[in-house]
Amino acid sequence: MYSLFGGIFLGWSLGANDASNIFGTAVSSRMIKFWTAALLASIFVILGALISGQAGIETLKGLTSFDISQAVISSIAAALTVSAMTFLGLPVSTSQAVVGAIIGIGIINGQLSFTGLGKVLICWFTTPVGGTLITIILYKLLAFGYNHLKISLFRSDQLLRMCLIVSGSYGAYALGANNVANVTAVFVGAGTLSIFGAALIGGLSIAFGILTFSKPVMETIGKKLVSLDPFSALMVSMAVGITIHIYTIIGVPVSSSQAVVGSVLGIGIIKGASTVRVQTLKNILLAWFLTPLIACLIAVLITFGSYLEYTGH
Amino acid sequence: MFRFFSKQENRLEDLIYKYLENFQLICENFEKAVFSCIREPLCEEFNFLKEQTDKYESKADDIIDEINNLMYSKVLIPDSREDIMKLLHALDKIPGYLEIVLFMIKYQKLVIPEKFFKDIQELIKISLEACETLSKQVVGFIKKETGTRNFMNTIDKHESHCDYIEKRLIQKTFTSNIDPFVKLQLKELIICMGDISDQADRVSKMVNILSMKRMV
Repeated sequence: MYSLFGGIFLGWSLGANDASNIFGTAVSSRMIKFWTAALLASIFVILGALISGQAGIETLKGLTSFDISQAVISSIAAALTVSAMTFLGLPVSTSQAVVGAIIGIGIINGQLSFTGLGKVLICWFTTPVGGTLITIILYKLLAFGYNHLKISLFRSDQLLRMCLIVSGSYGAYALGANNVANVTAVFVGAGTLSIFGAALIGGLSIAFGILTFSKPVMETIGKKLVSLDPFSALMVSMAVGITIHIYTIIGVPVSSSQAVVGSVLGIGIIKGASTVRVQTLKNILLAWFLTPLIACLIAVLITFGSYLEYTGH
Repeated sequence: MFRFFSKQENRLEDLIYKYLENFQLICENFEKAVFSCIREPLCEEFNFLKEQTDKYESKADDIIDEINNLMYSKVLIPDSREDIMKLLHALDKIPGYLEIVLFMIKYQKLVIPEKFFKDIQELIKISLEACETLSKQVVGFIKKETGTRNFMNTIDKHESHCDYIEKRLIQKTFTSNIDPFVKLQLKELIICMGDISDQADRVSKMVNILSMKRMV
């Protein structure tokens, strides 16, 4: 049971950080109250993990074979990488950290599924691009309808607010379904948990992170996107949910932060404005390479460290 | 369907329409007051109509305060809150100008010379037409109707016309043989009357920008 704490800690930090990608804009601009957003996000993350989390768990556990100590090591390596990258101020992806750690374990075991790994790598590169494309398509389609809606300013505001709640809940569902694999898939691989148990514990730990520590992140994240008008904020929220959901169906955990940046970039392309700083894009590119690499190295180092014995000389 | 969900939004919508109705009443009373003053300077009717205008102006302030309180209770999304408050505060400057004109007439005991009657009547009539059109433009903006640009063009024409009358009146004032002190009083009154259409034009352009901003 204690061996699960690494995964639970990872789930908690994922919930605290990534809920802001779903509801951050709406909360920081005070379109939705924090507690409404946090409760909805928690409920839908758990539902997403339980109903659609299986595919991602299957993919990650299929990358290599684990024993329980290796599962714990990969969780700790991922958690340490996430902490280090957050400390360095780089946009960290928990999915990349977890996969990097699994690759480290796979290298030590001399057993790695290159087919599964190839699928994961392709998805990592296409997440922000997918976010951008989906945002552009959604914006073009829905803006036409929205501009032709014969409803008053008040009704249009209510519609936007309702849509933000619905799309945020959908995004939380997709986040739970996609990212639960990061939290507990290694324990399924090690045979400690069943898929249902992994989805339940993973979903609960992410929800716990949302309820206990996501408020400061949610309230500040939106300031980075503050130039977005309400309709664009809604498009970003919907596009992130759809992007993550597509990768959930494919069965690959991806980064919601990278989907958000891609989506905001899409808004910039439509409006002809610079919505994302070049430095942010450079940091994402750097984090793309560094996160899995560091996680892999830490996992390898901890594994070797665990083989060391005190000889007394 | 939406009306069912939000009591506060419905209350806010009702208050804005109430403000616009009150705005119309202020304009009507103001017109009657100025015209009665032209017919018979400083008469009882003028005093009564001035008081009525003040009463409606004060009611407008109360409505704005209530709208403000509703906005603080987080009704509407932040962008709309800001837009509506900006619009109402700009619109509310017009009743302020109307009140100042009546105040000047009453407390400076201004008697408008007969040769200015026609021009002043025309200036007031066109300024108030601009205000009436502005009220329709604001309703159109709230109801998200098309044609706000046409209203803006009409108001712009009225404002140009008022500017022309205002200049003509000031020129006439300083070429006439009236007392120099009265000349300065009249100049001040004419400029204040001209401010009405100027402000209507500014608000109208603001409404147009806000309508364009809401198109995505």
